[in-house]
Amino acid sequence: MERTGWGVRLAVCAVYAFLLVPLVVVVLAAFNAGNYFTFPPQGFSLKWFANFLRRREFLQALWLSTELGLWTAALSTVVGTLAAIVLVRGRFRGRDLVNAYVTSPLLLPQILTGVALLQYFSLLGLAQSYWALLIGHVVVTTPYVVRTVSATLYNFDLALEEAAQSLGASPVRAFLEITLGIIKPGVVAGAIFAFAISFDNFTISLFLTSPGLTPLPIELFAYLKYSFDPTAAAVSAVAIGITLVLMLLIARFMGLEEFTGF
Amino acid sequence: MPRGVGRGAEPPSEEISEGPRLWVRLALLLPFTAILALFFTVPLVLMAVISLSRQSFARFEWALTFKNYVRFFSDPFYVGVLWDTLWLGFLVTAAALLLGYPLAYHLARTRTRWKPVLLVFILSPLLVGIVIRCYGWMILLADRGLINGTLIEGGWISRPLPLMYNQFGVGLALVHVFLPFMVLSLTGVIKRIDPALLEASMTLGASPARAFWEVTLPLSLPGILAGSLLVFSLAISSFVVPILLGGFKVYVLPIIVYEQILSVFDWPFGAANAFILLLISLGIITGYIKVAERALRGLV
Repeated sequence: MERTGWGVRLAVCAVYAFLLVPLVVVVLAAFNAGNYFTFPPQGFSLKWFANFLRRREFLQALWLSTELGLWTAALSTVVGTLAAIVLVRGRFRGRDLVNAYVTSPLLLPQILTGVALLQYFSLLGLAQSYWALLIGHVVVTTPYVVRTVSATLYNFDLALEEAAQSLGASPVRAFLEITLGIIKPGVVAGAIFAFAISFDNFTISLFLTSPGLTPLPIELFAYLKYSFDPTAAAVSAVAIGITLVLMLLIARFMGLEEFTGF
Repeated sequence: MPRGVGRGAEPPSEEISEGPRLWVRLALLLPFTAILALFFTVPLVLMAVISLSRQSFARFEWALTFKNYVRFFSDPFYVGVLWDTLWLGFLVTAAALLLGYPLAYHLARTRTRWKPVLLVFILSPLLVGIVIRCYGWMILLADRGLINGTLIEGGWISRPLPLMYNQFGVGLALVHVFLPFMVLSLTGVIKRIDPALLEASMTLGASPARAFWEVTLPLSLPGILAGSLLVFSLAISSFVVPILLGGFKVYVLPIIVYEQILSVFDWPFGAANAFILLLISLGIITGYIKVAERALRGLV
């Protein structure tokens, strides 16, 4: 069945190149000595990274994004896992409806969620607060956790939990010791994914950000609107590095094939 | 008795554990559904209500009027922007489909041990922040960027090619941003097509090309539809790409929403714009769910 011709292979390689070139270019520009990145490069330099470390606003933004990502991941993993258990295991009327509702923030364009949350929080007097940012991120990351955990739960053999119960374990104990142990990879992958989504989120943050509360993507966006120098590339290279590490972690815990659903 | 013996034939016995009990179910579901109700549904309803209010003397005022919608649909500028947005979404979707199909087909059929690496390649643009991806394209496409700079230094051209701050740059970056969604939607469906069907058609004398057109392509139609609806809905609601690569020379509906809400502070009109976008998206999402359901049911 290996009948893919050379034409198809070439096309496939070209599309992979198209996907990767913009990311590679950012990383190369970060290590390039010149102000503008042309070919051939103007020499190797770490000055843009040094520049990044000198700018307090970028460091603060990096820290805020990390902290926000951790809180978001913690919250969305807990509530998302609980919801996933009911949605996969429970057989009740309206389950499909609840399922659709729980994943709806994934399908709705984030700009709409962002606008709606900004107006809502403003009327509540909560806009421009850390809480607003955190809640906004939890709303958009939790559906991903639900999906990731559901994927592992579907493959879980209920008989194991029933066996534990027939051997005298209480339902709660059977769940904690058997089920949670087996679905742990999915839960961990979901948590890492939630962190990654939050860390890179731009749209929700843009509407809920305020002076002193700017996550890294917003800081980068503001910087790029007025200047074009490779300090932004250094910041981006660091963010790309973090994302890559997170993805390798997901691959290690869950396997990317299962994670993407095929 | 083994589980899942025939579909649709649920075992009548209720003694087998049917999942958690009702109150446990409710308690487990409550945290997230409460968060969603309070911080997703109510805000969206509020946005719809605000879109019916009015702005007078730069102050927001509660009211019940359709003035904002009338203003949108009677102004050629806004209607033009709406058409531009939909047209751009269509072009981006078509390009993503053309580029994504070969990739998805290869990914679904390949047995290479490099598959995890290929998945990282596809997922990495998805997970790297959208601002960074735009920045990558800016480095490539700017007047003094990699492509133009190299061409000028090499003496190939004397003036930079207009690659950015126009529809071309915006479209290119949008295709890049949403291509992974298309590939992921397609791969699952293509993978479920039984290769035996293709082989059967070829032993019956069809050429590989004909087998593809008459067997593989029709069977992957649900994936094509689902992926296209998803990419279209994402493309028409994107505003980071049009801002950074369009430089406010390419106007789309989300930019109007962004400007009205965050610069002009005309909340009712901004909310009306957002609500128009919401209605379009809801229409697409409904279609998407139907198509995705059929895709799963028909091919399992």
